[in-house]
Amino acid sequence: MTLAARTVHGFHTLLTGLGVTFKQIFKRNVTLQYPHEKPELSKAYRSLIKLKRFDELDSHDCVACMQCVKICPSACITIEGGKVDGIKRKRATLFEVDFALCSVCGLCIDVCPTDTLEYSRLYDEAGYERAWTYDLLAEFREEEPAFRERQRVQEEQEAAEKEAKRLAAEQAKAAKEAQASKPPDAPEGTT
Amino acid sequence: MPTTLIEQFGNPAIAIATGVGGVMTVLSLNALFLIWLERKVSAWIQRRMGPMEVGFHGVFQTIADMLKLLGKQLITPKGIDKPLYHLAPIVVFAPVVAATSLLPFSKSVAISNIDIGLVLIFVFGGFAVVGIFMAGWGSNNKYALLGAMRSVAQNISYEIPLILSALAVVLMVSAVGREVPIDGEIVALNGLNLAHITMAQVHWTWFILVQPVAALIYFISVLAETNRAPFDIPEAESELVAGFHTEYSGMRFALFFFAEFSNMFIGAMVATVLFLGGWEGPILPGPVWFFLKTYALIFIMMWVRWTYPRLRFDQLMTFCWAILIPLSILNLLVTALVIKVVQS
Repeated sequence: MTLAARTVHGFHTLLTGLGVTFKQIFKRNVTLQYPHEKPELSKAYRSLIKLKRFDELDSHDCVACMQCVKICPSACITIEGGKVDGIKRKRATLFEVDFALCSVCGLCIDVCPTDTLEYSRLYDEAGYERAWTYDLLAEFREEEPAFRERQRVQEEQEAAEKEAKRLAAEQAKAAKEAQASKPPDAPEGTT
Repeated sequence: MPTTLIEQFGNPAIAIATGVGGVMTVLSLNALFLIWLERKVSAWIQRRMGPMEVGFHGVFQTIADMLKLLGKQLITPKGIDKPLYHLAPIVVFAPVVAATSLLPFSKSVAISNIDIGLVLIFVFGGFAVVGIFMAGWGSNNKYALLGAMRSVAQNISYEIPLILSALAVVLMVSAVGREVPIDGEIVALNGLNLAHITMAQVHWTWFILVQPVAALIYFISVLAETNRAPFDIPEAESELVAGFHTEYSGMRFALFFFAEFSNMFIGAMVATVLFLGGWEGPILPGPVWFFLKTYALIFIMMWVRWTYPRLRFDQLMTFCWAILIPLSILNLLVTALVIKVVQS
């Protein structure tokens, strides 16, 4: 290329560069103003564990079986609980996880017999101290007496229904036995 | 003719105090604004938002940064050359104030109106180089010294095309301003007086139209003189930590930063006076036009910074000595020839 052609080409490339950057000014920016705006998480996003709320119970269903405590490789789960007065169902009274230790492996979720553990969608849990012991029962604690009352009523109802059924069955059985004890009456009407 | 402060106040002491105070205020506000603008322009070009938290769209961000710098400890490194180290920020900053006070902002507003204003501005521009070398030498730091050496070499080299391209304008002013009516009397314009340069353009036409090559060379040289990308080799972050101000912290660093943005401001203002007709413009008052043109130029400087990569040092020097200087000499000769031919 001649010097003139090279000079023209050089200016052309410089102006092209300026054009490229100038166009960017008017494009939509890609910043997420994080504390003011939250990102839209993927449906597959899996984070620290939490207790699932069942529709039919309107509460969690942790029965304090300790399976998750046993399988946890980081030993970060603490559970207390067991038989509760008034209802048949076992309940956890304490469910704490130290997420500073948790590696989010999900073994506890796999092993849970009542499927009450699931992945949460927490993602911005950074802090200034190593205080990541979470009380997973916190959201359920206030409604726990109401749940137990509901559960007790339901169990009573079920027991009453069962009793009624049993009574009905007994009556039916008694009637059948009574019928069986006088067989000669039966054929009379038919003949 | 702009009335100067001394003419207005009568007493030189009051005039100087008012002038320095005014210039310092304008420069401080301007630097705060320019730093914010620089961050915004870089953000826009990179499809970010830039500062958004302090005030509306982060306009007070620089004030917050300034307060932070004020509160910082002034670290004095070991083994420094004390007088040079401590004097350097002031030597860099003082000429900036002096140079700003020379510029005619409008037909009626000027702090001073000196017949050799253009020469003085270049003198003050050259002064900053001394301060930069003092900082680099006094810091007892290899990066600072390397940055200072680069800066001195670069600034001295680029001063030549800068002044040669300005000289072309000076020739034009003397040629077209033989008989210009000012305030009812016919005056011969002085090419070294900044107000006269503007008036020549008001009288005739903007010099960017008749001296495009000089304008381009001037703009490129200003980029190099103010150590801005793509000529930011003295402060190449990836090579020299921060260049000559590596060892400066707190307000001392802020002074360098201040001087840098103010130098950019002065470079753009002088370019406005030399090539863009200074205060001339329709409807709006003179100072508004003056600053509009200045900030438009500054925006282009920022835009250039965020577009081009940094040159290598030998490329920078070759560009100056092998292209810009011959070109500006040629431009000067052609200008002189054309003026001679037209006049005779």
